[in-house]
Amino acid sequence: MLEPDNIRKDFPVFREHPDLIYFDNAATTQKPQVVIDAITEFYTHFNANIHRGVYDIAAKATERYEAVRGKVANFIGAPSAKNIVYTSGTTASINLVAQSFLGAQLKAGDEVIISQMEHHANLIPWQMICKAKGATLKVMPIDREGAIDLGTLRVSLSKRTKLIALTHVSNTFGRINPIREVIKIAHQKNIPVLVDGAQSVAHFDIDVSDLDADFFVFSGHKLFGPTGIGILYAKEEHLNAMQPIVFGGDMIKNVSFEKSSFLSAPQCFEAGTTNIAGVIGLGAAIDYLSQYDKKEIKAYLKELREYALSRLQEIKGFSLVGSEEHSSAIISFVIDGVHPHDIATILGAHQIAIRAGNHCTQPLMDFLELPGTSRMSFSIYNLKSEVDRAIEIMQEIHDLMFGA
Amino acid sequence: MTDQLKALYQSVILHHNKEPVGYEKRPEAGMIIEAYNPICGDRFNLYLNIVEGQLEDIHFHGFGCAISKASTSILIKHLKGKSIEEVKQLVAAYFKTVNGEAEDAPEDFAAFAAAKAFPGRMKCATLSWDELNEYLKSVS
Ligand SMILES: Cc1ncc(COP(=O)(O)O)c(C=O)c1O
Repeated sequence: MLEPDNIRKDFPVFREHPDLIYFDNAATTQKPQVVIDAITEFYTHFNANIHRGVYDIAAKATERYEAVRGKVANFIGAPSAKNIVYTSGTTASINLVAQSFLGAQLKAGDEVIISQMEHHANLIPWQMICKAKGATLKVMPIDREGAIDLGTLRVSLSKRTKLIALTHVSNTFGRINPIREVIKIAHQKNIPVLVDGAQSVAHFDIDVSDLDADFFVFSGHKLFGPTGIGILYAKEEHLNAMQPIVFGGDMIKNVSFEKSSFLSAPQCFEAGTTNIAGVIGLGAAIDYLSQYDKKEIKAYLKELREYALSRLQEIKGFSLVGSEEHSSAIISFVIDGVHPHDIATILGAHQIAIRAGNHCTQPLMDFLELPGTSRMSFSIYNLKSEVDRAIEIMQEIHDLMFGA
Repeated sequence: MTDQLKALYQSVILHHNKEPVGYEKRPEAGMIIEAYNPICGDRFNLYLNIVEGQLEDIHFHGFGCAISKASTSILIKHLKGKSIEEVKQLVAAYFKTVNGEAEDAPEDFAAFAAAKAFPGRMKCATLSWDELNEYLKSVS
């Protein structure tokens, strides 16, 4: 059994702010001491640039940096460390695939398919490359509970479809997409699939080989790691088809004024000095997370979500956005007559952190005909008692806004 | 509820949120200004009729939080019927008051100074005022 009360003790932010109730984990998670220590240890004991130095600490930095690649591969079930490209985050990973993988092959009349619930990061890179190449961005519709229709998907695929990009879990309302089925359907027509794992990687057991995902992307900061580090997993055949798009040091084999040749993947996609401390912090975060059983994490967060949902029903005017089921640790909601930002401000004044707005999914909000929602998102250090406290405050909101 | 919250959601603001002044669509208005905050999705249309240097009529409609809605309602309440010169003076006085700089301004402006204590909420207090201000600058 997960012990959230003990897990909390690993996170110094809760020691510094004993009253903080942090329900904004979909935006970013808090950092355990071991991650902070790993970063400090790097800067204190073996700070050096990687891949070039012949002295001790440079060798150690390089070794640690490269070791994390294997750790990441292992963590998501990738066949090899060679499938793992370090980026600055989910956004950078998606842009890299859009420009490097699609940029080389997309032609006028081709199609890229996304869903209606995508984060702007999994929408605009495709929109821009489609525009540049005269291709079409097609949008898989969803219903009001967030379900995509696999039948519709099946018939919308054609020879012109060059990629499907889909989020594993919606950051807006937590809906879990049937990515295994989507990948199966796509592969029947040899269409590659990119899975945006930003919201799933901290909670689900991910096995990219078993899923047969072509690309899987995520950010370190949503799984207890530092900001500014992310991962692009790609199948080897796809990495080989991708051209570097950022050029400079650390990615070259041979350089002359006439021409240059590049290292093979993944190094050719990591030009310049990368976020070494970030990589090392990510390694520590994966170690930290790996001590817990993902099944227990999933079960606990499901229980917490169900508990919070049942308590939220007590709030006058509450309605859930999305689906009661098929959802991960996110609850998006509206309260009749009270703007999401007023809810977030009132909770915030009581040290309860939630998020309000469109959650970087403006087209989804347009579809739902909502200007925004309030969003609570949970992690392994959250407690039922914290939910109770939030409910207590929310019960007062009506009185504050409309008079008792 | 904390004191800061009570200061922000005081009766002036709650009252204008519940019963906004001039809250009506006027698509036939001479000038329609959109006040939109992409960060939170708040969006109001301001419907203006300016006749011979007078703001003869002004209404608004749209969606926003209690702060942005009330601040727009206060805008309508104070600016309707004023000359453009007076409008400009009132807009300047509003910004000063909201920034906490004491000013000889209408009493209900002061309620919005409380937004300063809430990071991220200042824009709610100035959204419609900012857009109106931009428009006034563009026409003079
Ligand atoms: C589903 C999803 N995709 C992409 C992103 C973008 O991640 P990042 O800002 O770390 O690049 C996020 C984070 O907000 C997300 O939730």
